[in-house]
Amino acid sequence: MIWQASPVFRIRRPAKDLRAASGKSIDIIEIKFKNKNLIMPHPSFLDEIEKYSGVTVAQCYQCYRCTNGCPVARDMDIVPHRVIAYIIKGEREKVLSSKALWTCLQCITCSVRCPNGIDIARVIETARRLSIESGLAARRDTRFFDGLMIDSVERHGRLYELGTIMRYRLSKKEFFKDAALGLDMIRRGRIGLAPHNIRDRKTLRAIIREIREGTGK
Amino acid sequence: MIALSYYPGCSLASSSSFYDRSLRKVLAYYGVALSELDDWSCCGGAAAPTIHQDLTDVLAARNIALAEREGLHLLAPCSACYARSKAVSLKIATDRATRDMVNQALAPLSCTGSVEVKNVIEVFMQYVGVERIAASAAHKLGPIRAVSYYGCLLTRIMGVPSSDDTEDPTGMDVILDALGAVAVPWQYKTECCGAGSTITDRERTAELSGRIMTMAVRAGANAVVTTCPLCQLNLDLVVHLRKNAAALPVFFLTEIFELALFGAIEGGGRHLISADDIERSIGAPGGDHQ
Repeated sequence: MIWQASPVFRIRRPAKDLRAASGKSIDIIEIKFKNKNLIMPHPSFLDEIEKYSGVTVAQCYQCYRCTNGCPVARDMDIVPHRVIAYIIKGEREKVLSSKALWTCLQCITCSVRCPNGIDIARVIETARRLSIESGLAARRDTRFFDGLMIDSVERHGRLYELGTIMRYRLSKKEFFKDAALGLDMIRRGRIGLAPHNIRDRKTLRAIIREIREGTGK
Repeated sequence: MIALSYYPGCSLASSSSFYDRSLRKVLAYYGVALSELDDWSCCGGAAAPTIHQDLTDVLAARNIALAEREGLHLLAPCSACYARSKAVSLKIATDRATRDMVNQALAPLSCTGSVEVKNVIEVFMQYVGVERIAASAAHKLGPIRAVSYYGCLLTRIMGVPSSDDTEDPTGMDVILDALGAVAVPWQYKTECCGAGSTITDRERTAELSGRIMTMAVRAGANAVVTTCPLCQLNLDLVVHLRKNAAALPVFFLTEIFELALFGAIEGGGRHLISADDIERSIGAPGGDHQ
């Protein structure tokens, strides 16, 4: 929590009334500062992101360095520094329904370059989980495929690449998408045809299931 | 004799099994014994974080716990395994809540984060040394003009001190140089190859990998060298992902060692982009290349 009601910053009215009055989808609070009434975003979304990611997002001063280094920024509907800005502004829906969350490749370039040490990639990773949970996710392929990979680990203890990719293609009805590529890979011995089962897979399966069925983020 | 524990990871156990064989063979030559973790499991790679934070920590912690039982430092040849294991190991050592959570989930296995996780370049640098590498190169690698490609996950791990410079790593270049190959300087050492979306968004991956290949050609290289199985496969696939793509053979660093030590590579047939021309250009031991 960086926003706290101090003797100087005092919340005058409940946020709910103001939200209705402003007609905006974001939560706002009105504060009295040196005899002026100021309206500012309610930090609930910022708190949510900071709590689940463990990253102090509010330190951002919008230098654009994350966006400048991002290899896929030009394909994003909201570029990285704007994602951070919208989080600070409390634009929950805008951020969680953006395609940008799923365009990100988690290459971590933004995070290591941030002068304020903000782990932007991790913020995006956290926002992904929140967007799935809130039913706002703009694209579901990544999460779906990641889920299949974890299914495979749950079953065998190790990733069965061929089985996982086949399940993905079948569910998308893309039966021949990898045909030429796949044949070349088989010819070159680049595909493991059989899964690897670990001995202790039963224990591991129980552990993975328990976490997946839990409600944490 | 130096002993390290290691787990190959899912890629080295299937699609890049020739990297696993090459790695073992080369390290054995230098007297570094690898003991494979008994019953190791998938570290969760890039998939677990999308599902659940705890899953990320627990899956990586299982292998760390196995390594601590062995009492040896842990080599993770795959960059995704390395990044994940390294970050989670440090988290377990420094964050009590995480340590308690993973140990509760994994009991009777347990870990304290005491094991050091190392990547392939670190192992060569620390346990073999540049001088020994240079002295051991029997075959002349002069015809190889290679760009070293480190990828994302080798030098970019948040919260963990990087094993090399984050933006301009040089470890692999130093090794290539010591082996007698020409390490060609270029700008794309740590660009992302897009491995995360090869299946779900092929166009994007094709563009990113294609760009890396094009840059390698423009830099005047005739080979790309990497230590990450995901990068290797993705760049090797560029001929399928993109029409008329520039295509240079993509070697694992240990294969360059094989060429220098033995004059041939065992897994040559596994390359989707043929590595035969490079292999043939290597001179006889002690002899002059040209």
